[in-house]
Amino acid sequence: MENDMNEMDQILEDVRQGWIPSHIYSDAAIFDEEQKRIFSRTWQFMGHVSEVPNDGDYVVRNLLEDSFIVVRGNDTKVRVLLNLCRHRGGKVCRNESGNAQKFVCPYHAWAFKTDGSLAGVPYHQEAYGGTEGLNKKEFGLYRPPHMEIFNGLIFINLDPDAEPLESYLGDFASYLSFYVPDVPGGVEVRGPQRWRFNANWKIGSENFSGDTYHTPQTHASMGAIKLVSSAATSNRKAGVMFAAGRGNGATFRLGDGPGSFEERLGNNGFPKEQIERMRAAWPPEIVALLQQDGLLPSASTLFPNMSLLHISAKIDENDEFAPFTTIRLWMPISATETEMWSWFVVDKAASEEFKRKSYKAYIMCFGTSGMFEQDDIDAWVTLTKMTQGYVSSAVHLHSRMGMNQDGSPLNEPLEEYSGQGTAHIGFNEYNQRRWLNFWAEHLEMDPPAHPIRSGAE
Amino acid sequence: MMTDNTLENMLDFDHPAHLRAHKFLVEESYVLDRRDFDTWLAMMADDITYRIPVTSTLGTNPHKAGEMDHMFEDRYSLGKRIERLKSKYAWTESPPSRTRHLVSNVACFSTDNDAETRVMSALMVYRTQGADQGPDLICGMREDILRNQAGQMRLAARTVTLDQSVLQTQNLAIFL
Ligand code: FES
Ligand SMILES: [Fe+2]
Repeated sequence: MENDMNEMDQILEDVRQGWIPSHIYSDAAIFDEEQKRIFSRTWQFMGHVSEVPNDGDYVVRNLLEDSFIVVRGNDTKVRVLLNLCRHRGGKVCRNESGNAQKFVCPYHAWAFKTDGSLAGVPYHQEAYGGTEGLNKKEFGLYRPPHMEIFNGLIFINLDPDAEPLESYLGDFASYLSFYVPDVPGGVEVRGPQRWRFNANWKIGSENFSGDTYHTPQTHASMGAIKLVSSAATSNRKAGVMFAAGRGNGATFRLGDGPGSFEERLGNNGFPKEQIERMRAAWPPEIVALLQQDGLLPSASTLFPNMSLLHISAKIDENDEFAPFTTIRLWMPISATETEMWSWFVVDKAASEEFKRKSYKAYIMCFGTSGMFEQDDIDAWVTLTKMTQGYVSSAVHLHSRMGMNQDGSPLNEPLEEYSGQGTAHIGFNEYNQRRWLNFWAEHLEMDPPAHPIRSGAE
Repeated sequence: MMTDNTLENMLDFDHPAHLRAHKFLVEESYVLDRRDFDTWLAMMADDITYRIPVTSTLGTNPHKAGEMDHMFEDRYSLGKRIERLKSKYAWTESPPSRTRHLVSNVACFSTDNDAETRVMSALMVYRTQGADQGPDLICGMREDILRNQAGQMRLAARTVTLDQSVLQTQNLAIFL
């Protein structure tokens, strides 16, 4: 792509019509724009508070090329600090996780406390003339302009003028509280698994927004080896796709119309005490969704690149089912490479037995070795590769399922739907188009004010 | 009492347990690289525990919260993975990975169980697929418990400690 606004306008116009110029999945110039206009202003997931349970515990997280330390200070407060020494730019913390009382830069030994403040400068008096020459108070580690926590999920936003997380999430908060329930004591996470593959980051984000159409084919092996129920593979058409706030997602059909909450969850491997805890913790509309409509959320994406998934799988010879939940980030490395960060999530107060079974189901299905995930990523790597050819890069890909020739919707949203937001039944690409519309909307906006130049500390 | 994995305790290379273990590892690479997964599964003990923990760069006082695995397998799940690979629908292995399991630096130690030997080895797997996938290199250290079951060697436990914390292969649809 030339750096030509008319050409960009045309791309965005095509995308909005459901015609995707294939090169958006491999074009370095498009990726440049995405970095400046999307990742700079959207709420970005950094980790979960259970990853830093004690004072001084930290994990290091990347947002594109920026490295951040997520750390619990001695005042028990969780903070997110830019992992960049204020002296000459050394990487202050080189580990992925640990516990520290301070972070000492390996280059010249400036030392930062866990709240980010600069505590020590070697030869402060002799070399700098003390506070007169260098006021340590002004040289703490940078912090992103905004950090908010939702049900223990830590988000940051680099845009000084960002809207609050709550309004960004909108109705998607209800679904987020399904995957990461507000249970007494909270959830705990394991992970992340991290690995890289040669696919554009958008493809996974779109897929998790509501591509149930791929399931019967891509995941045919899961039915063939009887690892999951038909609701999760061959019967995906009976589920609905929901659009809520900045998120989109899909559901499994677990029953037709009203039915028993206990029975539906029980069939999916929830033990009795988990059923009761979920009933109390899930938002009422999620309880109603399962009880009244027979639907349970499966995959979702919060724009731009955070996805969540819930599914059950058989974990032993006795056909015992166990459900699991995963949170993942599609973190771009380049236009053609993604690093996946994938966590396992479970109710902290669940029995050890349930945790073990749920974890087992996760490892079998998703993550590096997951038997679902393997085939997804293979498809996306192939697609990314295909869009790089001279001929192939000029092709418009088809994203018009559920759209008539004239652009009008093939069917209307459901009139009766117990969940938040709007929903469509059956196979369609309303959600993927909605995600792509968010994408187009962001690429049209001017980049936000810079977080550092605007004085954030 | 478990013996330590110290140099003094390493079995001599002509020790029968070392010879058996080394032969087992060569046989295992042979069947894995030929994608003879049924034979491979038959080499596993019924109570096999097969783990590939996530390697992470830990600072001091690392907290145990959040430990994660790439694989956490028993006989059932290994069997399911093989059943899947044999189905027509394991797209990611179509065309199948060509692998070369190179096993070296085999070091054996006796355990408190006469029938079991602890075997440490260095593993390097070279993986390509089709005409344009890879090559990927997956390196790590295997720590195995090999069990002599009435003259038949079986893998009772394996932990593969990977060298990379961010895995640079698109998935683990292969066995390490
Ligand atoms: S760069 Fe960190 S102390 Fe100099
Ligand atoms: Fe999928």
